[in-house]
Amino acid sequence: MSIIELENVVKRYESGAETVEALKGVDFHADHGEMVTIIGPSGSGKSTMLNMIGLLDSPTEGAVRIDGRDVTDFNEDERTEERRTQLGFVFQAFHLLPMLTAVENVELPSMWDTSVDRHDRAINLLERVGLGDRLQHTPKQLSGGQQQRVAIARSLINEPDILLADEPTGNLDQDTGQTILEEMQRLKDEENIAIVSITHDEQLEHFSDRVVRLVDGVIQP
Amino acid sequence: MSLLARSPSVLMAWRNLGRNRVRTALAALGIIIGVVAICSLGMATVALNQQASSQLGGLTDEVTVSSGTDSGTDRVTDAQVTQIQNLAGDAEVVPQKSNSTTLTARNGNEARISVTGVTQASALYNLTTGETPDRLQAGALISNGTAETLGLEIGDPVEYEEQLYRIRGFIEEEGPSFGPGGGGELVVPLQALSDQEYYDTVTIIAADGDEATEIANTLDEYYNTEDEEELSINTGSNIDQIGGFMDTLSTALLGIGSISLIVAGIAILNVMLMSTIERRGEIGVLRAVGIRRTEVLRMILTEAAFMGAVGGLIGVLASLGAGMLAFKVITGNAMGALEWSSTRYLVYGFGFAVLASVLSGIYPAWKAANESPVEALRG
Repeated sequence: MSIIELENVVKRYESGAETVEALKGVDFHADHGEMVTIIGPSGSGKSTMLNMIGLLDSPTEGAVRIDGRDVTDFNEDERTEERRTQLGFVFQAFHLLPMLTAVENVELPSMWDTSVDRHDRAINLLERVGLGDRLQHTPKQLSGGQQQRVAIARSLINEPDILLADEPTGNLDQDTGQTILEEMQRLKDEENIAIVSITHDEQLEHFSDRVVRLVDGVIQP
Repeated sequence: MSLLARSPSVLMAWRNLGRNRVRTALAALGIIIGVVAICSLGMATVALNQQASSQLGGLTDEVTVSSGTDSGTDRVTDAQVTQIQNLAGDAEVVPQKSNSTTLTARNGNEARISVTGVTQASALYNLTTGETPDRLQAGALISNGTAETLGLEIGDPVEYEEQLYRIRGFIEEEGPSFGPGGGGELVVPLQALSDQEYYDTVTIIAADGDEATEIANTLDEYYNTEDEEELSINTGSNIDQIGGFMDTLSTALLGIGSISLIVAGIAILNVMLMSTIERRGEIGVLRAVGIRRTEVLRMILTEAAFMGAVGGLIGVLASLGAGMLAFKVITGNAMGALEWSSTRYLVYGFGFAVLASVLSGIYPAWKAANESPVEALRG
């Protein structure tokens, strides 16, 4: 069974008198251990699609399923809970909190949860992305590639099933981007998770198990 | 377990406040000023109150009884004095007889003077020179002004009703008086006025103003009805008015203090609003990675509470200094500021500071927590 599934998803935005249809009936799925890349020009609806998969937004029509469960009509609090337990996010601009150290940033998604202590896992994850000697550094003291590694470690702290990456190499040079992608691929196998990335970086294609092309809110065959 | 896992709201709030120290310090300064305003005005009022009641204290504690408009004797009788003693409990009851006379000095000067016959003279009069015995059996006391006019010294005799009395002390005159003696007063033993059968006034000396009021009410109830006044009973009612004025004054001063704290609260509201708007994207990230809305709310409210607590604490320390200064200037005793009647304003001030800050944090916190993560991430 697919870990994440979109079925005939339509997303319409009302902007003034105009209605914009960002997604026009999208079917999509990703499986455990699979790295899927969604490629499309800007304005193609790929960010909207990632928001649907990431439960940051809900579709106008269609269904979203995580691990076979229908989460389409979840309210904001239920979606927050799913994001916390099932999903990890990596952003183009890293989005680390500047006043926290690397290890605190990694712990962030779990820190209000008193039932678990992820401190050891945070250190372990940072060691696995090669930052074992940078635990107490703040984002300012880290390079772009190092910051993105911290962000990847953060996305995995709650042992999610799906990692969503929004242009993960967008702010990095070619070589750094490549090492980040290799890192993601390795972690995907180690943790047996699905990775869904959106990009217009053709380089990502080489690391993907599958590429989906989105144009004007429609997936190309 | 790491500190982060134990109290994330506190850690996050502390770090966030540290990010823009100047802004945090300015907001806290607003709170400090508000707290100092509330506390020091409150404490200054306490000092004024203490000073006022210590200066007027003697009068507030006394009840004066004289014959009422419907009295049969136009005086206070022995039986009534005994009954008043029963009703007054522990308070000292001092019956007095009054008259007036003209004193002539050796140098020919004359002075019209009121005469009071009383046994417990020490309870009623403060002396500038000499001493009052607990029971005045022989000798006399005289106003220091009159003594000066007549050129009298301690030990000199004065004559009243063909009897000589040696002067044992000078009475401190309390402001201008318009009595029949033009302010002068001669105090002689009660038996000097034994040809008067009844007492003219009875003074009751209570422990404090509250007891005086209580005794006055008891006597009034016992002797008088709505239509008939057998005894006229007076307390230092003008003192009550002064007390009422002090209450009004302290309310007004606290009001001014509260206004400055409200202004400080608005400053915090502004700072919190600005900082949450600046951190919009960051809060979006928190929400995206699964931080609940209530947790974002708690974090921002903690920030506001921290600012209030830090500002409040510094404000309280500054106010303590200001309060001691106020006590030193007004009552001459700086340590008076450390008593609970005055230090409670520090507790109020601190409480108000935290409360105002948290109230000011509610809207920015609510706004930040409820923003859609997609919108917030867009920046």
